[in-house]
Amino acid sequence: MAHTLTLRVLDQGVRVDGAEPTSKTLVTATYGAMRGDPGAIDLDYTVGRNIGPATFFMRRQGCEQRTAPDTGTFLARFDEDIAIELQKLRRDLYFVHAAVLTLADVALMLVAQAGGGKSTTCWALLHHGFQYLSDELGPVDLKTLEVHPYARALALKTEPPTAYPLPSNIVRTSRSLHVPGDKLPARLHKRPAPLGAVFFLRYDPLALAPSVRPISAAEAAARLYANTLNPLAHPGDGLDGAIQIARAVGCFELVTADLPATCVLVTAVLNANK
Amino acid sequence: MGSECPKRRSDVSARVVEGEMVVLDRDASLVHQLNVTASFIWDRCDGRCTVSEIAEQVAGAFGTNPDASKEAVTAALRRFAELGLLEHARD
Repeated sequence: MAHTLTLRVLDQGVRVDGAEPTSKTLVTATYGAMRGDPGAIDLDYTVGRNIGPATFFMRRQGCEQRTAPDTGTFLARFDEDIAIELQKLRRDLYFVHAAVLTLADVALMLVAQAGGGKSTTCWALLHHGFQYLSDELGPVDLKTLEVHPYARALALKTEPPTAYPLPSNIVRTSRSLHVPGDKLPARLHKRPAPLGAVFFLRYDPLALAPSVRPISAAEAAARLYANTLNPLAHPGDGLDGAIQIARAVGCFELVTADLPATCVLVTAVLNANK
Repeated sequence: MGSECPKRRSDVSARVVEGEMVVLDRDASLVHQLNVTASFIWDRCDGRCTVSEIAEQVAGAFGTNPDASKEAVTAALRRFAELGLLEHARD
């Protein structure tokens, strides 16, 4: 039976059609938290699975079909396509590769290299009074320095530590684990939130305890720039945007270790930084 | 080396942020953060100042002795060259 998922994402209308159960379930679970009246359709997708070899496909209207051999690759390709297209549609926003939470309606951005513990730390913080704003994309309005919500399911590469177990009904693909918005242990923050702090994460397996240090605006700007997804859409090749953010908010390097202690430290830093 | 006039590449972008330089090299897809001393030296890599003159200015600005200043300038220029940020380093 045909199924249509309609989303309102960053003020853009997205429609995903599909009848095949696995691809439909994957996209709905991952993006369902952004379900809404799309208004005019800006991005129109069809997803499914070809008969014969178990090959998933996605096709955006006007573009060639892309295929994937497994669920993990399928979802990764869908994620990539929608993220790139949203960056084209919202060139006014400064997209940072980050997870974003809020505490008392102020946004906290977690930035890390792949495997740096961004999503795992985000998952843990959701158990400590933080609300969920976005994963993977941190879209910043440079005029207001607000971060817009992008409530894609929180994606984890591996099971988190036992202190923060996953619920049973999450999405597991061949590559990663995805916690849909309605399965998170905290509420979704559904409005843009002013950015209050940026934490650059570094996981040190030898660290006995987490630590945090304020970093200069120049260091923060350089680190932020390295994690910006659409710098060339902005003046000064995007460098000015990174500097603007780095100058305006508190920026820290966070060496993560024991996760509960890391969460307590982050909360304390934010409270002190108010 | 003291009479050479190092020149930063004209196609890299640089911004001063609270006294430190952020340098964007789009060709190499790299962004660099320079500390205060390196930023001072970078600012003088204009193709007109000699290495000796830059070292004298470092000594004047930071109160370091001439040998230490020259050492700092030489080290910074070597690093800039390794990173391909100077005109003559690209020849």
